[in-house]
Amino acid sequence: MLTNIVRGGQKVILRLEDILNKIFSSEQNILYYHGAMPNFFMWMLFLSGLLLFAYYTPTLEAAYQSVEYITKKLPYGDVIRGIHRYAADAMYLTVVLHAIRVYFTDRYREYRIIAWYSGIALSLFMLVIGISGYILVWDQRSLTIVNKFAEFLAALPFIGETLSHGFINGDIISNYTMSMSFFLHTGTSFALLILLWVHYMRISRPVVNVTWAIGSLLAGLVLVIAGAVPALSGEEANFNAMLPSIPIMDVDWFYLWLFPLIDLVGNYGAWAALIVGLVVVTLLPNFVKSEDSEPASVNKDSCVGCRLCSIDCPYEAIYMAPRNDGSKYKELAVVINDRCAECGLCVGACNFDAIELPTYRSTQVMDDIRIALQD
Amino acid sequence: MAEDVKNAEEETVEEQKPKSKDEVRVAVIACERSVNLEGELDQTKLNGVDNCDVIQVPCSGMIQPRMIESAFKSGADGVIAMGCQIGDCHFREGNKFCRERLLGLRPPMIKKTVPKNRLQGFWMSEVQVDEFKDRIEEFKSHVANELVKEAAED
Ligand code: HEM
Ligand code: SF4
Ligand code: SF4
Repeated sequence: MLTNIVRGGQKVILRLEDILNKIFSSEQNILYYHGAMPNFFMWMLFLSGLLLFAYYTPTLEAAYQSVEYITKKLPYGDVIRGIHRYAADAMYLTVVLHAIRVYFTDRYREYRIIAWYSGIALSLFMLVIGISGYILVWDQRSLTIVNKFAEFLAALPFIGETLSHGFINGDIISNYTMSMSFFLHTGTSFALLILLWVHYMRISRPVVNVTWAIGSLLAGLVLVIAGAVPALSGEEANFNAMLPSIPIMDVDWFYLWLFPLIDLVGNYGAWAALIVGLVVVTLLPNFVKSEDSEPASVNKDSCVGCRLCSIDCPYEAIYMAPRNDGSKYKELAVVINDRCAECGLCVGACNFDAIELPTYRSTQVMDDIRIALQD
Repeated sequence: MAEDVKNAEEETVEEQKPKSKDEVRVAVIACERSVNLEGELDQTKLNGVDNCDVIQVPCSGMIQPRMIESAFKSGADGVIAMGCQIGDCHFREGNKFCRERLLGLRPPMIKKTVPKNRLQGFWMSEVQVDEFKDRIEEFKSHVANELVKEAAED
């Protein structure tokens, strides 16, 4: 059943991509940049965030006013703030699309497992960045978030109290709480870069950049939305009039969905949903039975050490080892079996029949061609 | 760069009178993940199209220039290397590399003796079965025309 749904999903994706190819050419098909788009928005966020950082003050007294100053007094401050808000939403949206694409096209398991697991971590980190970001504004919504998130953390058995205490950064909400949120927001943002390095670890030449045309389009879209729907603060946080929950229209459904969920099913229910969800996505690769692996293998006697296979391998599964076995060639191609996708790209790159897929050797392909054309 | 030391033998093509479109033989070396040919093949013969054989490989990136040469040598009048749509490849870059080889931009290079005018790349996805058959028919007409031109030049 699951496989049928996945195959159906893949067909829908392929049809959609075919249509866009015919309109825009495959070079400018945004769906082919599903990994590069979140990357693009991330750079927009770092840039706009840097500008906001210059004027922001992370204290209870000054935070709200500093954001107001940026929005209302600073030239183009409102635009910068809008870009930061909507690029963040766009990043989450495209990350979800990216995850759906790799899942439905069956490109998330086995030799791609590092990318899958690090992707899950990336999306969790993004939630932390989003939630802490909405605290920095220090309006009524921020205060509700701090309170509800502290209670949510505290509900966790054993470590809950410690986590909650750490998040508030003391016994009561204070300037230390603001420092913590500021740290969570910026620190986790930089941690994204480290996680991305892990994400790309096994991928040769990852497509991390969109084209100029697509980049202009995406930036333009964010700018238009930022102009049309300015990102504004609510009332300044007021301890005496604290809201019991975030008003539905103030919920950012990309980053703040946890809070309506808590309202709906309570702290324990939300934890349960979060943990079950995480376990399911983490185990998704295990739901599919993998076939026996028969990685590419190198024939020592034929390999001349030309490196072409190691250059072409799309999953960094081949390295060139110095050889001292009396051969006149200096290097030998070596396949790292666990990383091998059994794609045969190395076979296509080798002019010496020195590297082969055991399941379908190039000599066998040639024979099959000959036999097919005989009659 | 690797020297192309192997297989230096020359091929001798002897054409009598040019073949008609129906007689043209086509070999398709195809990625098994591109056009879905389940139920469309009788061994290697493509149903509903005359003289068209399909040999499937795990990815178009596996197609060696020697395989293309061997298809021509074994009697194909036209050869198609087929992978998924450029921009989408299950193995990320296979069809891109295959295309670059067809264009002579990536080693190993295709020999000069291969009739490039009768060699094409098709880049189509799993769902484009009908389009694939139409394009094969077009390709056969193209090859028949090229054969007439070649005969006239001799
Ligand atoms: C900050 C967010 C993310 C960014 C910027 C990002 C970016 C990328 C990029 C650029 C690639 C390389 C694509 C290629 O060249 O073939 C990639 C691959 C991949 N990503 Fe992400 N990604 C993110 C989040 C995620 C998430 C949330 C998941 C899923 C849970 C995920 C799963 C994968 C997988 C499985 C691959 C390997 C695909 C393949 O080998 O064909 N990523 N990602
Ligand atoms: S392409 Fe072939 S000859 Fe060159 S290094 Fe790889 S296995 Fe050896
Ligand atoms: S088959 Fe070859 S090119 Fe493909 S992943 Fe394995 S070693 Fe790399």
